Amino acid sequence: MLATTVLNKKKTAVNVAICGNPNSGKTTIFNAITGLKQRVANYPGVTVEKTVGQFRVEPSGPHRHRHRHGHKYAHAHGDEGTTYNLIDIPGAYSLAAFSPDEYIAARALFGDFGPETAPDVIVCVIDATQLERGLYLLFQTLQIGRPTLVALNMMDLAQRRGMKIDVNELSRQLGGLTVVPVIGSKGKGITELKQAVARLNEHASTADFDIYHPATIAVITRLEQLSGRSNRSRAEYLRVLFDVGGPAERQYLAQPADGAREALDTGRAELAEQFGSLTAAETASLTQTAAAIAAASVRIPATRETRSERIDRFLLHPVLGPVILVTLMALIFQSIFAWAEPVMRLIDQLFAHLGAVIGTQLPEGPVKSLLVDGVIGGVGSVLVFLPQIVILFLFIAILEDSGYMPRMAFLVDRAFRWCGLSGKSFIPLLSSFACAVPGIMATRTIEDRKLRFITIMVAPLMTCSARLPVYAIMIAAFIPHRPVLGLFNTQGLLLGALYLLGLVVAVIVSLILKKTLFKTQRGTFMMELPSYKVPTARSVSIRVFNRARQFVLRAGTVILAITIIIWALSYYPHSESITRDFEARRAAFQQEYAGEDQKALDARLQELGNEQAGAQLRNSYLGRIGHAVDPVFEPLGWDWKITMATLASFPAREVVIATLGTIYNLGSDPDHSGSLVEKMREARWEYGPKIGQTVFNPAVALSIMVFFALCCQCGATVVTIKQETGAWKYAVGVFTYMTVAAYLGAMATYQIFSRLWS
Amino acid sequence: MTYLSKMTPGQSGRVVGYTKDSPVTRRLTELGLAPGRQVVYLRNAPLRDPLEVQVGSTFLSLRRAEASLVAVEIDE
Repeated sequence: MLATTVLNKKKTAVNVAICGNPNSGKTTIFNAITGLKQRVANYPGVTVEKTVGQFRVEPSGPHRHRHRHGHKYAHAHGDEGTTYNLIDIPGAYSLAAFSPDEYIAARALFGDFGPETAPDVIVCVIDATQLERGLYLLFQTLQIGRPTLVALNMMDLAQRRGMKIDVNELSRQLGGLTVVPVIGSKGKGITELKQAVARLNEHASTADFDIYHPATIAVITRLEQLSGRSNRSRAEYLRVLFDVGGPAERQYLAQPADGAREALDTGRAELAEQFGSLTAAETASLTQTAAAIAAASVRIPATRETRSERIDRFLLHPVLGPVILVTLMALIFQSIFAWAEPVMRLIDQLFAHLGAVIGTQLPEGPVKSLLVDGVIGGVGSVLVFLPQIVILFLFIAILEDSGYMPRMAFLVDRAFRWCGLSGKSFIPLLSSFACAVPGIMATRTIEDRKLRFITIMVAPLMTCSARLPVYAIMIAAFIPHRPVLGLFNTQGLLLGALYLLGLVVAVIVSLILKKTLFKTQRGTFMMELPSYKVPTARSVSIRVFNRARQFVLRAGTVILAITIIIWALSYYPHSESITRDFEARRAAFQQEYAGEDQKALDARLQELGNEQAGAQLRNSYLGRIGHAVDPVFEPLGWDWKITMATLASFPAREVVIATLGTIYNLGSDPDHSGSLVEKMREARWEYGPKIGQTVFNPAVALSIMVFFALCCQCGATVVTIKQETGAWKYAVGVFTYMTVAAYLGAMATYQIFSRLWS
Repeated sequence: MTYLSKMTPGQSGRVVGYTKDSPVTRRLTELGLAPGRQVVYLRNAPLRDPLEVQVGSTFLSLRRAEASLVAVEIDE
């Protein structure tokens, strides 16, 4: 018999929402299905943005159930031509949202974000080792009334723990709901899952079994009738009923029908009386049903100590734990420097060589100058830092995937609370060491609004990867390398101190904010500590690669564009009179030294070349602007070149290196090539009271580093703060306070250290 | 009957209920600390707060203030 049923073919794209508890492996399954590279991390609430990927289901041909004999029954599933949009929903424990993140999850599942993302099919991912908790969310999700299926994940872990899970029994207990066992990390069961989604979409069946108590159903039916709206699901009315003072209630009572308020109040009172409390009317039914179903379908061996618990006896030890945490951080920062060093030197030489080759091939003029001074000098000097970026993200990815990050939050919570933050601020702040943008987004897991805002406002003080190039070049050029206590050295320790500076200022700022603008309540710290996992090479390398690509792309776009502008401003107007003047002096020299010491002549000519380049640069537009604003930055010990490079780096901090590269290339004899570090070391004051002295010394380098530690030179951060807080005033506020702190901090640093070393 | 916050590391008990009905206690229930569940007090963080407990195969951290909302019966 050939049954060719083609159903549900009207719509070409089917929205499939994938939801689940934090740490249930949702994102891993999402990646396995779509192949789309996306962030996966092993701490609660990493999926902070809506992510969509597409997939298709292979036409299945003969039915996938193995009918080894008997008739072959081909069953076309109407898959061909159907595209599935898979929507990754932020992790949630419950639709009764406790954090902004969960509120987004609930709204996404309700289809609040418009028909393009409203789910047609829901995949609820449940961690097999946390079945009861997963079922709780599933029960709430089922009330949305969409075709739903369960992806039972981490079957391997469950098996390792000796759990026996009867998948068929579980499905039966769930009223026939499809349950697909999967191992997301190994890609097992993914094909079956996709096929199950296709089948479910076709048959559009919704689960039919009651979990909520009839008394609860009676109340929400009344609420539904009163509102007269039919497009809201039962799940939404449950939120109206149970989340007292919540967004669903406010929405429901915004244009209240007659008697809506009363119906809600009496309904709540009735349930509270019957169940002991209003909340219990929901939680008790759900947890008890979940427990009963889990008991019927899973056999759990007698509890024995898990591997994670054995590890935690050391890592969460009251004394050993913090020691390990601090040592680990110190070693990470140390290795960022040590491991990257050889590769960086290689890249640096490569660009210097490239500049020299192009320099000799092209004729003198703007084109050569643009390529050598602008592009290679500018972008090249930023790209040198790629190895450090890679190592930094390697560590962050490992920390995230291993499950150690929530433990870090656990260890520091008490100390953080003292500063007006919470252990929950730790994860966003730690992410901000990579980049403040994802860090600020990760604050959505913080449920307390004030606490969240404080965290957002101090996150940009964390030493992000864009600061690293600035520190690295200044330290390498001007801070002597001396061993300290055998294991450490001055350069590494200074880098550590700069990271610490950001932290200390963040503490001060959050204490001030806590006492003034955001008088916080105590907040909460209810958090799951997920089991440790060995980070997979695939997941870690994908993330490191994505970050590296982003860094290179930025160097090739934003930084390139600014570099070209800076180059143009500092090249033009190329004064002919200066050129003629120097030509005349050059000729005079040649006559003077004719027949004499060739070496002396060369040296004089090179000096003259530098002088000429310097004169042109001073005469350039950039030079004129620089000299005009320079007095403002004089107390910081900066000359006009540093000042301009800093101002130009408003869109992104690392631009300062590119700009310095361009300015110093332009400011030196084009035939004399050398690395940026060498040129900076040679730079001398051409004006003012310090004329003839070197521009850079340790005090100036420190002043620059302190400025960049505290400033908010990052357009993306400013925009993200606006997005996440919903108001420009916070973004402008952060930019202002950080810039003022940076200026004052740099000034104090220079004034103190220049006296110490003079 | 006592409170979760009064237990000491190594002790185990059973969740009896909550001292009040609030979003915090709701969340504790949803995380697994539901009435009737068996709970093991594992450890304190440095500075004695927060603390870590085990419920079933879930490891939870919560602050002493939150733990004081959970009424427990300590196992003999």
